[in-house]
Amino acid sequence: MTVRRAAAALLAIAATTGIAWLSTAPTDFLGDAGAAVRLSWRVDGVPVEACRTRTEEELAALPVHMRSPLECERTLAPFALDVDLGGRPVVRDTVFPRGVRGDRPLYVFRDFPVAPGRTAVSVRFEALAADGAEGVPTRYRWNGEVQLNSGDVALVTMGEDGQLELRTPES
Amino acid sequence: MRVLARLDAAFNALYGWRWNPLYHSGALVVTCFAVLLATGLYLLLFYRTGAPYASVAAIDAQWWGGRWIRGLHRYVSDLALLAAVVHGFRMFAQRRSWGPRALAWVSGVVLLGIFFVCGWTGYVMVWDAHGQLLAAEGARLLDALPVFSEPLGRAFTGEEPLPGAFFFMNLFAHIALPIGIALFLWVHVSRLARVQLLPPRRLLWGTVGLFAVVAVLWPPPLGPEADLLRLPATVPTDWAYGFWLTASRGVAAGWVWAAGGAMALAALLVPVLTKPRAASAPPPSWVNPRYCTGCEQCYEDCPYEAISMVPRDDGREGTVGLVDPAKCVSCGVCAGSCAPMGVGPPGRTGRDQLAQVKEFLAGASLGPGDMVVVGCWYGATGSTEVAGARVFPIGCVGNLHTSVIEYLVRAGIGGVLVAACPPRDCQSREGVKWFHERMHNGREAELQERVDRGRIRVAYAAAGEARVLRDALAGFRAHVRLLEAAPGEHDFNVGAECEVEETAT
Ligand code: HEM
Ligand code: SF4
Ligand code: SF4
Repeated sequence: MTVRRAAAALLAIAATTGIAWLSTAPTDFLGDAGAAVRLSWRVDGVPVEACRTRTEEELAALPVHMRSPLECERTLAPFALDVDLGGRPVVRDTVFPRGVRGDRPLYVFRDFPVAPGRTAVSVRFEALAADGAEGVPTRYRWNGEVQLNSGDVALVTMGEDGQLELRTPES
Repeated sequence: MRVLARLDAAFNALYGWRWNPLYHSGALVVTCFAVLLATGLYLLLFYRTGAPYASVAAIDAQWWGGRWIRGLHRYVSDLALLAAVVHGFRMFAQRRSWGPRALAWVSGVVLLGIFFVCGWTGYVMVWDAHGQLLAAEGARLLDALPVFSEPLGRAFTGEEPLPGAFFFMNLFAHIALPIGIALFLWVHVSRLARVQLLPPRRLLWGTVGLFAVVAVLWPPPLGPEADLLRLPATVPTDWAYGFWLTASRGVAAGWVWAAGGAMALAALLVPVLTKPRAASAPPPSWVNPRYCTGCEQCYEDCPYEAISMVPRDDGREGTVGLVDPAKCVSCGVCAGSCAPMGVGPPGRTGRDQLAQVKEFLAGASLGPGDMVVVGCWYGATGSTEVAGARVFPIGCVGNLHTSVIEYLVRAGIGGVLVAACPPRDCQSREGVKWFHERMHNGREAELQERVDRGRIRVAYAAAGEARVLRDALAGFRAHVRLLEAAPGEHDFNVGAECEVEETAT
């Protein structure tokens, strides 16, 4: 009887502390990642107009006051994203504007795991449009070296001046 | 099923069936919910959306209060999830997942989902490294859905400080979700009569007390503050709510959704997948208006509120019972409650049982030295024989009409052992409870005074407790040996004596 009671009490205590332990179990999320270079920014984008000439029939189908010979659609240009880390290319990608019609801003946010220590970083973000609209920046670049401790994130982001810049935990 | 039976048996041996926490897993979730509300209300007094981490740190600094209340809130939320999974698995293993129970099943799955998301928001509130992980992963998963025009994930890259509105929305969700829990709990038990929302007091306070003691002695550590420009390293993680984190982080959001969606879909489809084919599904109960006297006993006893009393349409006065087949789970409890034997699933009414017991006795030459075990399909009895005693099987002892026992005793059987499941384990919810009342407390249809109680015994033995049943039988057999041989009656008519009129008008 007393053995049974002791076993019952022990099991209850073990279960409760077990639940409490599982509720706070130290878990490693860093793994082999070590540190990371993170890109995160938003650009409003480079407007482009895609125009084509309307056919005779199409023109005839339109009300008189809307019969302009060109049909144009304003969208935003996609951008090429190139990232090199430690001199090696890690990304060659195209980033598209958001929105169903591709007329919403472009967002970049991704992490690249790197080993702690010094790493050379080169980031290029360039509009894939032959001619940029007047006064809208079409290329962004950041080149340099980052010095990271274990767990640090080096953030390449858009600065106040509209240029890419680096932020680290210390800065 | 086997696993469950073994575990049940082990817990019964340790805690006794009255306080077996596995039997009360659903009620334990409700207990947890109540504790979460109480402790949550306290924590809310001190939480600030403007300074989430600092305010939790201040709570943690209250060594006399906030620290262990926060611990209790956290540990009990883990217990809630665990108990809900056990409870759901019980229902699944006991095949209580289809037909009229589908509503309880589906709302149960939704409840589990709400608990899960609510815990998620709770951990984000703390805004330590664990909260940061959960928030960032949540944002990543939400961004995979075409819902938000601006990606949420970018809020957690450290580019800009998190807007205060984020913590406000999160807090709002953490408070609104429990309202959803209350609502769905109401739906969950809406088809059940006399719901047992809380476990017996000893189990309730024992559980709450034990968790409170652990929270005092071993409060959860507060992880390092979230820092968006640091990768989370070794983080105290809740494995009940965050078990998937280590696995999901390296996987594309679409796959995580696919895996989660597949699990949710499978859980929601269980009522369809476990539904037996029409031919083998137990048919719903039916009231034979010829025999029904309108006593309302079945209407009282039905654990699923499937019976209503309606005016008669056969020219006789009063009301008659009517079973709603859409609500009836065919538990058969009504069969045992009807003195005139006018109700029950086809083939399982009191009348059917009497016919079956007559046949049973005719087919077996049983005498004063012999024992009969009247055993529930779901309990420990199993086969046709237990340690030398013949078994008369019955759907649930709640189905058993007491006149069957009377019949056996008066036929001169040495002893009748009724093998019931522990009351809280009853497949029919209240079958064992009503059986007990009918045997001992004069509830209709009660065991008649004239029956020799010395030859009847009830044993509680769950599916995994064949040994408990054998021991009970051995003890009872020894007791019966001391009794004088009973003079078997051969020309009695239990039917007539038990108010069964063969052709009532
Ligand atoms: C998460 C919170 C949950 C709570 C608080 C809860 C609570 C309860 C309670 C108190 C009962 C009534 C017990 C009785 O009086 O017999 C019940 C019944 C039931 N629960 Fe849950 N439950 C939860 C989750 C689940 C889950 C996840 C499932 C299955 C997936 C489930 C399936 C059922 C079923 C099928 C019944 C009906 C039993 C019957 O008809 O015999 N529940 N629940
Ligand atoms: S218990 Fe029998 S007699 Fe009473 S209402 Fe139900 S069916 Fe009618
Ligand atoms: S079998 Fe009888 S007691 Fe059980 S749910 Fe159906 S009507 Fe109710």
